[in-house]
Amino acid sequence: MADKRNLKLGRRDFLRVAGLGAGAAAVATIAKPTTVKAGSQGAKFTDPAGRVNRPWWVRTVDQPTTEIDWNVMQRYNERMGTVRGPGMAGYVGQEEVDRLEAAAAKNELQRMIDNVDGYTLKDQALAEAHVALGWSFLGPQKAPTPEERGMPKWTGTPEEASKIIRAAMRHFGAATVGFIELDENTRKLIYAVDPDGKDMIFTDDAVATETDDARYIPNSCKYVISYTVQMSQETMRRCPTPLAQQTTQLAYKRGQDIQASTQEFVRGLGYQCLGESSTNALAISPALAVLAGLGEMSRLNRLITPEFGPMVRVFHLLIDLPVAVDKPIDAGIMEFCKRCKKCAEACPSESLSFETEPTWETQGGWNNPGHKAYFENAVTCRAYWREVAGTNCGICFAVCPFAKKDKAWVHEWVKASGSMVPALDSFFRTMDDAFGYGVQASAEEWWGLDLPEFGIDTTMSVREG
Amino acid sequence: MSDKMTIAIRKRSWIEWSGWAIWFVGILLIVQNAIGSAQELEPRAALILWVSLAVWLLAGLVVWFVRKDR
Repeated sequence: MADKRNLKLGRRDFLRVAGLGAGAAAVATIAKPTTVKAGSQGAKFTDPAGRVNRPWWVRTVDQPTTEIDWNVMQRYNERMGTVRGPGMAGYVGQEEVDRLEAAAAKNELQRMIDNVDGYTLKDQALAEAHVALGWSFLGPQKAPTPEERGMPKWTGTPEEASKIIRAAMRHFGAATVGFIELDENTRKLIYAVDPDGKDMIFTDDAVATETDDARYIPNSCKYVISYTVQMSQETMRRCPTPLAQQTTQLAYKRGQDIQASTQEFVRGLGYQCLGESSTNALAISPALAVLAGLGEMSRLNRLITPEFGPMVRVFHLLIDLPVAVDKPIDAGIMEFCKRCKKCAEACPSESLSFETEPTWETQGGWNNPGHKAYFENAVTCRAYWREVAGTNCGICFAVCPFAKKDKAWVHEWVKASGSMVPALDSFFRTMDDAFGYGVQASAEEWWGLDLPEFGIDTTMSVREG
Repeated sequence: MSDKMTIAIRKRSWIEWSGWAIWFVGILLIVQNAIGSAQELEPRAALILWVSLAVWLLAGLVVWFVRKDR
């Protein structure tokens, strides 16, 4: 008799536990993200250099997943790019550049008049709201130095230096921070000419200087800080609109702020910290970030990180404070790109490569040879920006399967499975489409969303040690 | 009059319990991802997962109904 009752109760208990468990899971999921991650409450770093805990499927490797031929690689003249300087005019002629700019201006006004979703006056106003505070190669130089305080400069091990810089930069707003040491090869990633036309010259001088024609980098400033700043995925999925592209501008603005604060912080320790003199100046950001283990190159020919996908802008600084350097990673991202091609299919100007394997062959002067990549056609991309979109595009970023939030656990399973079993990549790409990811969202709807600060989740890279 | 009665006790095998445990874990995972997808403002993904949950629950009920008297 007792056994029979127990058996019945066992079944009931089982169903009750099932119900309670499902309810608990639902409640835990509904809870705000800031309350579910212990790391966000101030868990201690377990790494002596303060490295964040990466997902288990992110492997540290000796060589990056992008092949590099350092014998071919040369220091790049950033004025050859298509976004700033005379680069675009050099490829298509000034007349065509003027025509594209006129088309952009005409479209901008007409779309405001027509109230086109994402192009309305309020969208345009938001896009123009991010006033640049000012980049600086040498930094603000306002913070007192140890010498001015009557103190010796800060000293510590390279690991301790990395740890405090990471902590400070994360506090300033950086998403992830990595370090490399420049050598004969990696020095080629520092521009030969900055976007404003100034020569970038390495020198034996002890102190960095800047003239009307050149910026002088002391050879002692051989440590690179590479860092990312999150963009808002929820905003970028409204691209290509002024509303969506302003998350890029906001990230650049925050990057500027982080740069200035870091320059002052390092100055306060008694060392030099050289920054970007304008957006994307000083060095090739994605390359440094790859070497510092922040992410991998991709079919976008941009950085994709394990934590945020492509939803980051990448920045860098040079310092003369010895730090513990990082190694590249392999999270299966480059392998995934070989099979996915979703960005290339979505690109309206067909500027991205459809080739399965990356190549050494560049598309034009806007690419720097010496690495095996999916080189893009920056001229057709740029022309689409101005002539059709009337703003930065960003579709390739928005549709990328790595551009996900982390509320649903399935994204982590997919990234882990793809990293360990690349044969599943095509299946995951198909499912990404089936689940409706990457579809453009309404810009008007965005104004009614209750998004967190900057439209980003700052706990996404925080993991318990 | 005798009140004696016979009770037949059938002990479920560990394989059967394991099957129900997997079914239950499946419920948790689908619910988590459905709610997570809704939080991510991904309505299509959330809808697919809620439908998947219904199918998963129904499958469990059917199996339980078919096997309950065995």
